[in-house]
Amino acid sequence: MSTIVEKFRQYRKPGYYEKYDYHWAMTIDLDRCTGCEACMVACQAENNIPIVGEEQYAMNREIQWIRIERYWEGEYPNIKMNFMPMLCQQCDDAPCETACPVFATYHNQDGLNTQIYNRCIGTRTCAVYCPYEVRYFNWFTYTWDEPLEQQLNPDVSVREKGIMEKCTFCIQRIRIAKDLAKDDDRRRVRDGEVIPACVQSCPTEALIFGNSNDPEAKVTKMMNNHRGYKVLEELNTTPSIVYLTKAHS
Amino acid sequence: MFDHGQPTYAEVNKDIISTMLETGPKYWILLGSTMSLAGIFFFMPWIYQLFVGVGAAGMNRNAVWGTYLSNFIFWIGLSHSGTLLSAVLHITNSPWRKSIYRSAEAMTLFSLITAALFVMVHVGRVWFVHWSFPIPNQMGLWPNFRSPLMFDVMAITTYLTASSIFIYMGSVPDFAAVRDASTGVRRRLYAVFSFGWRGTAREWHTLGWAYTFFAVFVIPLAVSVHSIVSWDFALSAVPGFHHTIFAPYFVTGAIYSGTAGIVTVMYCLRKFLNFERYIGQVHLDSLGKLLIALSLIWSYINVLELFTTWYGGSSFELEALSFRMTGFYAPLYWEMILFCAFVPLLMLTRKIRWSWNKMLVISILINIGMLTERFIIVATSQPRKFLPDAFGFYVPSWIEISITIGSFGIFMTLFLIFIKWVPSISIYEVKETLKPLRRDA
Amino acid sequence: MSKISRRDLLQYIGAGGIGAVGGVLYGEGVQRKVELLIPQVIPPEDYSPGVATWYNTVCNQCSAGCGITVRIREGKAKKIEGNPVHPISQGRTCARGQAGLNALYNPDRIRTPMQNVGQTGAGRFVEISWDEALTTVGSRISRLKIEGKANSVRLLSGQVRGHLDELFAQFMDLLGSEHYQQYDFTYPGTIRAANRISFGVEQLPYYDIKNADFLLSFGADYLGTWLSPVHHSLAYGHLRQGRAGQRGKTVQIEPRMSLSGASADEWIPARPGTEGLLALGIANAIVGAGRYLGSDRDQWSVALEAYSPSVVSGKTDVSEDIIVRIAKEFSDNKSSLAIAGGAAAAGTNAVATVVAVNALNYLVGNLNQPGGVIFNSNSAFSTMPSSNQASFQEMLDLVDAMESGEVEVLLVNDTNPVFALPDHVGFRRAMEKVALVVALSTFHDETTQMADLILPTSTYLESWGDDAPDPGVGFPVASISQPVIAKLYDAIPVGDIVLSMARQIGGELPVSMHWSSMEEFIKDRWREEYVSRASDGEDQDFESFWRAALEAGVWGQPGAIDSDPSVPSSASIIASIADPESKFAGNESDYAFVLHPYLTATFLDGRGANLPWLQEMPDPMTSVVYGSWAELNPVTADEMGIREGDILDIESPAGSIRVPALIFPAIRPGVVAIPIGQGHAEYGRYAKDRGVNPINIVAPLMDDQTGDLAWAATRVKVKATGERLHIIKTGGVSRTLGRQILGPSNDHS
Repeated sequence: MSTIVEKFRQYRKPGYYEKYDYHWAMTIDLDRCTGCEACMVACQAENNIPIVGEEQYAMNREIQWIRIERYWEGEYPNIKMNFMPMLCQQCDDAPCETACPVFATYHNQDGLNTQIYNRCIGTRTCAVYCPYEVRYFNWFTYTWDEPLEQQLNPDVSVREKGIMEKCTFCIQRIRIAKDLAKDDDRRRVRDGEVIPACVQSCPTEALIFGNSNDPEAKVTKMMNNHRGYKVLEELNTTPSIVYLTKAHS
Repeated sequence: MFDHGQPTYAEVNKDIISTMLETGPKYWILLGSTMSLAGIFFFMPWIYQLFVGVGAAGMNRNAVWGTYLSNFIFWIGLSHSGTLLSAVLHITNSPWRKSIYRSAEAMTLFSLITAALFVMVHVGRVWFVHWSFPIPNQMGLWPNFRSPLMFDVMAITTYLTASSIFIYMGSVPDFAAVRDASTGVRRRLYAVFSFGWRGTAREWHTLGWAYTFFAVFVIPLAVSVHSIVSWDFALSAVPGFHHTIFAPYFVTGAIYSGTAGIVTVMYCLRKFLNFERYIGQVHLDSLGKLLIALSLIWSYINVLELFTTWYGGSSFELEALSFRMTGFYAPLYWEMILFCAFVPLLMLTRKIRWSWNKMLVISILINIGMLTERFIIVATSQPRKFLPDAFGFYVPSWIEISITIGSFGIFMTLFLIFIKWVPSISIYEVKETLKPLRRDA
Repeated sequence: MSKISRRDLLQYIGAGGIGAVGGVLYGEGVQRKVELLIPQVIPPEDYSPGVATWYNTVCNQCSAGCGITVRIREGKAKKIEGNPVHPISQGRTCARGQAGLNALYNPDRIRTPMQNVGQTGAGRFVEISWDEALTTVGSRISRLKIEGKANSVRLLSGQVRGHLDELFAQFMDLLGSEHYQQYDFTYPGTIRAANRISFGVEQLPYYDIKNADFLLSFGADYLGTWLSPVHHSLAYGHLRQGRAGQRGKTVQIEPRMSLSGASADEWIPARPGTEGLLALGIANAIVGAGRYLGSDRDQWSVALEAYSPSVVSGKTDVSEDIIVRIAKEFSDNKSSLAIAGGAAAAGTNAVATVVAVNALNYLVGNLNQPGGVIFNSNSAFSTMPSSNQASFQEMLDLVDAMESGEVEVLLVNDTNPVFALPDHVGFRRAMEKVALVVALSTFHDETTQMADLILPTSTYLESWGDDAPDPGVGFPVASISQPVIAKLYDAIPVGDIVLSMARQIGGELPVSMHWSSMEEFIKDRWREEYVSRASDGEDQDFESFWRAALEAGVWGQPGAIDSDPSVPSSASIIASIADPESKFAGNESDYAFVLHPYLTATFLDGRGANLPWLQEMPDPMTSVVYGSWAELNPVTADEMGIREGDILDIESPAGSIRVPALIFPAIRPGVVAIPIGQGHAEYGRYAKDRGVNPINIVAPLMDDQTGDLAWAATRVKVKATGERLHIIKTGGVSRTLGRQILGPSNDHS
């Protein structure tokens, strides 16, 4: 009986975990981001994101796991531009996770909101529920003009039509890092050993990634920065990404 | 009750059963055309979509839900007709329901089937849709019961099952009547369908008891089904969706559109099956009054939505609302208000309420308005969520419009088949309304 | 059922059995495409399946020369990352760098040598063998050499540094031709010339943005397209948040907000062409306020007399307050840096503008100081030809030469003048007059279309090479470029083609250019450099050095700043500036707008347009994909009744184009900005017939001093045509609508 009660209690907790093993988190410093979009192309290269084509872009069907949002402020000549990278916030209280009828998206023990491609039946409820609109659907089975498919990353599945996809914090890199750490004397993954493609390419070092369960990690310190805030915090989705506002000289 | 004088028991049997046994060429032409409509406008585009991907439709990154889902909700809504008429009015012992409830229940069933088809069309990988059912599988996975779509699956299958049993059970004595009036293969068939009904007092008693039980059972089911469907939307955080009023809103809207659907079907039955005797002014009048009541409730709920959005002052909600009322789809929004809130007020006058043609027009307009309402909800809230840079736009594609039209073809085909296989007016219930005859009549 | 006898039954079984066996044998025998689940039981020697290897090389998507490292799985290039030990990129990349894999695996690469069989430019090419191709070229050139007409052979290349440059120069030299030129639209010729005038060194210095406190940029899009964007971005990040308690400030002066302007604290839309004047006004304010303490301050005072803030304010349309305040902030800060580029360095007074900006650096004394202008006079390679970048004037001379039949053989490598020069220059037509045009190209672009012979070159990811990055980082750096995969198709790296051609031509060429491959050549030169720097002049440790260099991808000598710490800049230079304001083609009354073409972060000068990832990448400022647009100020558009998507006819004295309008809030009224990069007539499926090329309507005005194209000096008239085109944008509403998206408390509506 007590096991049943125990299991029930676990089940009722969001994410099902009392404490995450690693808790992958990211900080995005808006004072450093210049909107150059290197992260977007790096993500496309790393995660086999399809080349959707002009017609599909015209219908607003792009697939951009990380995108740069633009917000103008003021009017000419006192006009300012603000760039905001937007990617899956890996919310701890994700609205999308409760929405999926087949558990194709769930919260794993590392605090990641994972997407299981082969379980997805394509109801697209998760995309409706996501307040950040960071989920992208494969409307067709996209193909690459030969020989562009030679570039595809063998560590990442290529998705067929009817499957929802989104940023995974480069879970393939996390898995490889954990494997290597395990081989290396069964130790934990150290800070800086795994970074997603976007973080690696960002030329201004605006993106910082790491394990926020580790008090010494760079990302943990950045998350406690006084400029830190979370986007749409009032919706109580508990995102794992902390943004740092632009500062003033 | 009866416009042209009371029929005799024998005449009731004859009138109704003859619609089943005698079939003219008009029927076949009509059946052929509805089947073509369904085949060409629904199934062919759907098969194309299965090969190519859901991208054949017009949805995009912002509005991932489109007309498939709004049609799904519309058809579920239409399915509430039978439940209300049949079950609720049975409990309240309304006499005028007797001749129309069978067709209404049939409408329920066929609307549900059409709605279920829309789920298949909507989903990205239909060949795996069985994963949303809790059946044993090699992955050892349960579906996610916290998902409103799972509630949907549970609710709709329950509703479908209950409605099928309900209508079947109620038709058993009528199957017996058809059995008695036919010969050969048909007689044998209906003997099976009627479970060997003999018409003893005991059997009648059991039927009455069982029927009432089901009526009571089906009513909360109907309320819950559409509430659950509304929670597909309301359980998200999307502005324009995330309202507690959604459950009553959808249920009201469902009953509203269902009742309007009944008026349309009644008109057709009257016309094509010569049921002028059985479906008369009193039915029209009662349905009209019901529609007025529902229309007023519906309007009230709409005003409520406006009011709560206004005093709530949430920028997200206000933006969604203003996009709805003044954005690209504003003409559709106002058309919906016109057809569903204002046009039905015409029924306040007796003259209109008693005119078959005018009521037909009004009922069709109401359903057009309700179809628009579902579309407006789906298409105008999604492109206006929280991050303005992610605002977008959705226009349905030709395939979606075609499939919408085709779905009516499916419904009509099923209904046409129904009227030949099941007595479309309940013979024994109509007889219950007749004044008892003298023995020597 | 009819009866079957035993005999019949046995016959049936027999026949059936034979048929079955036959079928199986047939099925096995027929050549089927092999589909193996585990393809490599015995793996090949050069890689381990499932294990990734990383090779360091140099990116060639722009001229910055960032070091990159490429992830190889099963012999295929999978991902490009920055080389962590390279001083320029330091482990980072830009979007264009990432898209290099699209160039390597582009479906429209030229795979074999081709020969034109139709009319020049008609594009009817047939495949030929390398032998045929090289024989044709070699014999023609050698015949010309024998006839003493070696000077009619010309080599036009894109920007090339390192020993490939030396190879080209040597080749042409041995041939006896004086005509080896490089043409690159993005080449900062005016900046180099200005530095020569101001500081006596014709080079691109190291602009130490990283350690600056105040960065004043006159039109230079240092974060997007100017010189070395990855390094500048790294520096920018550090300037902002890399130093505890200290945040640098940036100011951008340009008529249309670029990517750098978007990140600046202040964006000042001065009148186009007056940036130099503004710099002089600021200089005047600095000297006038007594903030310049050099011994020659009186001369400076006199030289700057005419440029008081009040006078300058009127002409530049920047308020006097702002000029004085900027001057104060610039001179107050410990490390202030002023840079110039973009349209400011592309007027008729480009050099004068940059000279004026250089003066600002001199006045605050940041030369060779941290956070200032640091000169790298010490190149890693001791034997390098001096830069032979062709100016626009020189390209016009080339066109004349081609038209008059002086050019018998034109070798074109990795440059696209038919696209990058305005149509009215007539480069395309002139090419028809050249007897033999040999295109050394990877892709079939507009210039390749005009070739008689196409020799396909491999991409930088399949080639050996090296580079001394320019601008450097203040100390000598040499990068190595090595192939990361076996080369694809029948293409050959250009260096190896040149060596083959040398062998074909014969004479003393293959004797002097004796290397069998580019790899051998590079290694040889590096050995020489190594020996010249080794204390004992011996090369016995060279092999281990070479291996280490290949593994790192780069060699550097930090701390070895060799230049004179006090670089003079004389006030008389300022006094000699005749025209601080740019002239424009077209008068103001007829041509009401100034045309502001700009290099894009996606395509740069058009070279990236054939890469699908870049076409799909939304333009950072406007979010437009797959097309061209013309930006107009919202008030201007309103006055003219133009909505977004209306197709405009934009006409300059040199030509006209049609392009849809886009409403852009951060542009001066009276300026229309059109991105450069689209408008290709060839160049592959992703680039072809898409958008417009604004270079085509740029008037042939040049900088007064260098003859470089003054591409920011054209005036245009703008007219709506009545037609519309849907501009594809990924962004929705670009205002926060009062929602707190950018921070909890700031009002960012």
